[in-house]
Amino acid sequence: MLTVSVYRYHPELDAKPYMQDFQVDTEGKDLMVLDVLNLLKIRDRGLTYRRSCSEGVCGSDGMNINGTNGLACITPLSSCVKNNKLTLRPLPALPVIRDLVIDMDQFYKQYEKVKPFLLNDTPAPAIERLQSPEDREKLDGLYECILCACCSTACPSFWWNPDKFIGPAGLLQAYRFLADSRDTGTDQRLADLDDPFSVFRCHGIMNCVTVCPKGLNPTKAIGHIRNMLLTRAT
Amino acid sequence: MSDKRPVNLDLGTFKHPLISVVSISHRISGVILFVGLVFLFNLFDTSLKNAAEFASAQTLLQENFFAQFVTWGLLSALGFHFSAGMKHLVMDLGHGEELETANKAAKFVIGLTVILAVLAGVWIW
Repeated sequence: MLTVSVYRYHPELDAKPYMQDFQVDTEGKDLMVLDVLNLLKIRDRGLTYRRSCSEGVCGSDGMNINGTNGLACITPLSSCVKNNKLTLRPLPALPVIRDLVIDMDQFYKQYEKVKPFLLNDTPAPAIERLQSPEDREKLDGLYECILCACCSTACPSFWWNPDKFIGPAGLLQAYRFLADSRDTGTDQRLADLDDPFSVFRCHGIMNCVTVCPKGLNPTKAIGHIRNMLLTRAT
Repeated sequence: MSDKRPVNLDLGTFKHPLISVVSISHRISGVILFVGLVFLFNLFDTSLKNAAEFASAQTLLQENFFAQFVTWGLLSALGFHFSAGMKHLVMDLGHGEELETANKAAKFVIGLTVILAVLAGVWIW
């Protein structure tokens, strides 16, 4: 029997969130955490969480699993459960709407700030903007982000300054476009990031790299941005 | 509405990776050093007054266990703060930004601190 402790909060019924314990029979199978939630959902229709693709592509079911942020759909029980106890809490630092569902508004606002789209002021070619395989390679490890918010909500710098610090997810995307040979907005992008908070609140704690379900490295991207800002300033 | 919404920020329920613990300890050791300076400046001030006061400061450091312990604590904190600070500088140069190397670096910082703390202890006692 697996004891599953779930963070519960209903905005209209509960003054405060509380932890509810369930006993789940996994029949000895190494289920994914999302499978366990789906089993609970059969028992309690009110249990609320986001999920969509259930294979680590959509990034909907990011949550705090036994103290570590991750995607419930690709986290097997064997990798997170100790002493038959599974604790599920919503992602940290962002306001809880209900149970495991958080309001990601602040997270998206930071994403929006980095202008996550190609800026190019040269006339568009007839067919497409070409890029050499070498330049394309520079985007590997950057474009794969699914915006699940596991990294930013694991970052203490983001916890204390969610409105001013872009956060690892946003900064990874900022660098994704700074590194793109087809983008001509580099100067503007760097100017927008050049303040004490947006980039420089990163203290290399590396919680983002520790939790990223896609194995990406925002710390490294932030290092590259810092170097670009430094070069630009001199 | 948004003001009433709860936030899951109960630090005790989170798992803190070693790299993260070293990072926050760097800051804590910095605060300890800053506060400890009051003690050291005071002692320094005393020792500069005259020969008798210098001797009394010397005796304090040689015989008073509490004073020795505080000095040892500050030296150890300095050892940690220095090692972790060097790690930060190396990281700023673009090294050790991978998870594996960062983990090794964090362990190295702790190891170095233990050695420095032992050396400080040998020096004081």
